[in-house]
Amino acid sequence: MTDAVTVTDLVVERGHRRVLHDLSCTVPAGRVTGLLGPSGSGKTTLMRALVGVQRVRSGTVTVLGEPAGSPGLRHRVGYVTQAPSVYPDLTVRENARHFAALYGRGTRAADDALAAVGLADAAGQLVRDLSGGQQGRASLACALVGEPELLVLDEPTVGLDPLLRVELWERFHALAAAGTTLVVSSHVMDEAGRCDRLLLLREGRLLADSTPAQLRAESGTDDLEESFLRLVRAQQEVAA
Amino acid sequence: MSATAASLALPAGRTSGSLPAIVGAELLKLARRPATWVLLGLWPALQLVFSLVIPYVSYSRGSSYEGSPPEALLASTLPDRLVANALSGLPLFGGALLLTLGALLAGSEYGWGTLKTLLAQGPRRTTVLAGQLLALVTVLAGTVAVSLALTAGVSALIAGAESAPADWPGAAEIARGFGGGLLVATTWGAMGVLLGTALRGTALAIGLGLVWVLAVESLVVNVAAPLLDVFETAQQALPGVNAGSLVAALAGSDTPVRTPGVVAVVDGGQAAWVLGAFLAAAVALTALLLNRRDLT
Repeated sequence: MTDAVTVTDLVVERGHRRVLHDLSCTVPAGRVTGLLGPSGSGKTTLMRALVGVQRVRSGTVTVLGEPAGSPGLRHRVGYVTQAPSVYPDLTVRENARHFAALYGRGTRAADDALAAVGLADAAGQLVRDLSGGQQGRASLACALVGEPELLVLDEPTVGLDPLLRVELWERFHALAAAGTTLVVSSHVMDEAGRCDRLLLLREGRLLADSTPAQLRAESGTDDLEESFLRLVRAQQEVAA
Repeated sequence: MSATAASLALPAGRTSGSLPAIVGAELLKLARRPATWVLLGLWPALQLVFSLVIPYVSYSRGSSYEGSPPEALLASTLPDRLVANALSGLPLFGGALLLTLGALLAGSEYGWGTLKTLLAQGPRRTTVLAGQLLALVTVLAGTVAVSLALTAGVSALIAGAESAPADWPGAAEIARGFGGGLLVATTWGAMGVLLGTALRGTALAIGLGLVWVLAVESLVVNVAAPLLDVFETAQQALPGVNAGSLVAALAGSDTPVRTPGVVAVVDGGQAAWVLGAFLAAAVALTALLLNRRDLT
């Protein structure tokens, strides 16, 4: 299996604070990789580094064979921030078609993206009239319409009801099955089990680079949250 | 599910949107926004009210203006004053409205976070800016044309109703008026885009822009310039003063324009060059900011 992303000895500082400490990891192509950790662990900073919008102090980030942020990656990497980024005064369909035109895609691609996030029935509604979860999915559709090879999603399931979360994860895996590489961040450990691969972060350091099954086996528990806690304690004992 | 996802499969060698596609998308976005219609509709509406309707109603009631006979009010509404009557509001209230439109166009992209989605994956930043500005110029050209057409229509009605002469300006004069009006409108719009981009939002950009157009320039011209020589000279470099001077030049030296802000402080040629410089500087600075800054 090839890697879509390779991060080597990445150091990022914001202000006078070191946010990522010599972080190295890989993201396999065509899989859903979960980036998990508590708030402030450096998830968003790492995602920004992958997208190429984060100034790094040292280390390298290679995405789809090119340095992160290269002009050649511009149309190959999609990034969806936690806050919806869509036009509230346009309908869902108009938003998708607007971004489709900007990305050089047609109306068919826009309609397909709306269907892929389950918003085909709400296509005629103004975005400002949608629920927060629907707005998030509209934002996701606008990123999908560009058909990126790497899709970076920052906490896409925050605020969604359990049914929608399940649906969205199914859609992530469908995209991965079609060849898209997804990096999905979350601070909720029960979402870790839905990922093909896990990157666990804490205080800017990589705690684990594993699969859910490996993590359960290594920590001796089926509860991934408990696995995370055991890893943290083990790290603290080593540090002491 | 799989079928849908498969339709989102990876493209090979796909290129981002072309400039015409971006202009089209921006035009669609502008057309769908109520704010666009309100701002672009207000200017011609106010223009008609203050240039034609109020003077004509005053004439009908036999009123005089600053000692001029009522017939002078009627004469100011007739077709030979088409260019002056269509453009006289541009330097002041028209400018304020169009600057607001430009600030909304650029600033709302930051407020809604859409710029991140667009630029992280989409076309080059300069191409996006070019598309936005071309779309803005397109709607402004349409609005200047509508203002000229509406003014011509109402002037023709007044001339017909009063059996007054309908001496229309020549095509070259109208074309010059259209070009000058578009230059003034585009300069204000581009300055709004610059403010919206520089301040990464709409509220402060609109507030500062309005204070500049409606207050600061007026204070410099009416309060500071008569008192200090340095301001007498400095006012010749202000965008509003040059916009007013250009419209005054387009109106003709023998055509008195009562609208505030329309005063021939400099000649028309100089005013056009200064406005062109403001327009070029606003576009260049916006491009620089857009290209150099991180997307937050």
